[in-house]
Amino acid sequence: MVDPSVVDPAIVAANAKGIIAIGAGIAVGLCGIGAGMGEQAIGAAAVGAMAEDEKFFGKGLLMTVIPESIAIFGLVVALILLFVF
Amino acid sequence: MGKSQAVKYAYIVARVRAMRGKLIPKEMYPKFLNMDIPEITRFIGESEYKKEVDELGKKYRGTDLFEHALNQNLALTYRKLIEVSQNEANYIITEYLRYWDVWNIKTILRGKFSGASEEEILEDVVSAGQLRYRDLLELVKIASVEGVIAALSKTPYYPALFGYKGVLADIENNLDKLYYANLIKAGESSKDRFFLKFLRTEIDLKNLKILFRMKSAGMEREDILKLLIPGGIELKEADLGRLAALPFPEFVRALEEYSYWKAIAGISNDLTSLINIETQLDKYGLVNITRISYYYPLSILPVLDYIVSKKLEVDNLRIIVRGKETKLPEDTIKAHLVM
Repeated sequence: MVDPSVVDPAIVAANAKGIIAIGAGIAVGLCGIGAGMGEQAIGAAAVGAMAEDEKFFGKGLLMTVIPESIAIFGLVVALILLFVF
Repeated sequence: MGKSQAVKYAYIVARVRAMRGKLIPKEMYPKFLNMDIPEITRFIGESEYKKEVDELGKKYRGTDLFEHALNQNLALTYRKLIEVSQNEANYIITEYLRYWDVWNIKTILRGKFSGASEEEILEDVVSAGQLRYRDLLELVKIASVEGVIAALSKTPYYPALFGYKGVLADIENNLDKLYYANLIKAGESSKDRFFLKFLRTEIDLKNLKILFRMKSAGMEREDILKLLIPGGIELKEADLGRLAALPFPEFVRALEEYSYWKAIAGISNDLTSLINIETQLDKYGLVNITRISYYYPLSILPVLDYIVSKKLEVDNLRIIVRGKETKLPEDTIKAHLVM
């Protein structure tokens, strides 16, 4: 009979992997939401400025993607979680 | 300021900031003073007013073309602001631009009162408010003051016009008071404290102008009080009552207590010219709104700043051209410019 107090190492490893995957998902997901919230106002402003003057296209685009760096941080953390641990 | 507030105003503020960048820079005005009217018209015809100058060029010439092009551009610009804004911003802009409805009603009533022709009246209307150009055309066609008032019976302005007894000044005051009372109500219901502050300062400046005019004309306290608009930020009703009762020199001295003294301190030695005082007060208003619009960049203030700046640009251009047409000396024209 198997002793219930002894946990199979294979199950422990699988659980840990699962938790790491959830962590990676949360990192990417939350960062995506944060970046989206940041881009919301900047994107609206960029479109407003562009509507008046097309010259603002380049600057507007650049400003709009700046909050994207947050999403990249999330992605980096997720990759570290998945492949380093 | 909450997140949602920033998002609400981001689009319209970026848009008006871009529009403001296209206004004529103030360094250009001294150059205009050295140009002839055809040169100024050509310059204007190549700027933001191109469409209007081209369109009206077939119908008008010289200063008339200039005047019509400026008015039409102003009306279209303000109408555009109403069209591109949403929700709270749209509500405040619409209410604020009712100023032009009041302006047009006054113009038409004055025209009818003095027997001006339809063409002459239409020269001065700016259809930037809720009354469209076609509505104004209908109003201009009506022959009498009473007829115009009756035609306006379904508009929100009727309560001010309703008691007309042959004195135009009375209903004009009523219109102004009604406009500001409604505007304060709109500001309070939208809970936009920036707008309310700007509005109350504007009322103060308007009251100051009225006080200066009436004081220099030697009017009595009771008559002056009838003209003043309630709701100012610094000049409360008690202050206005006190200021209205003082003789001119004491009235000027009493103003030192208020922050508006800064506006006229520079010309306090020579307060005989009302033009100087009004120009200084307008300048104060412009500097004030421009400054606070940078303090609160994601609010209604940059839009109001643009509305004020655009009106002053059109006024300045008109002053220059009209001044040149009547061959006024450069210094006199310069004294009238608000920049």
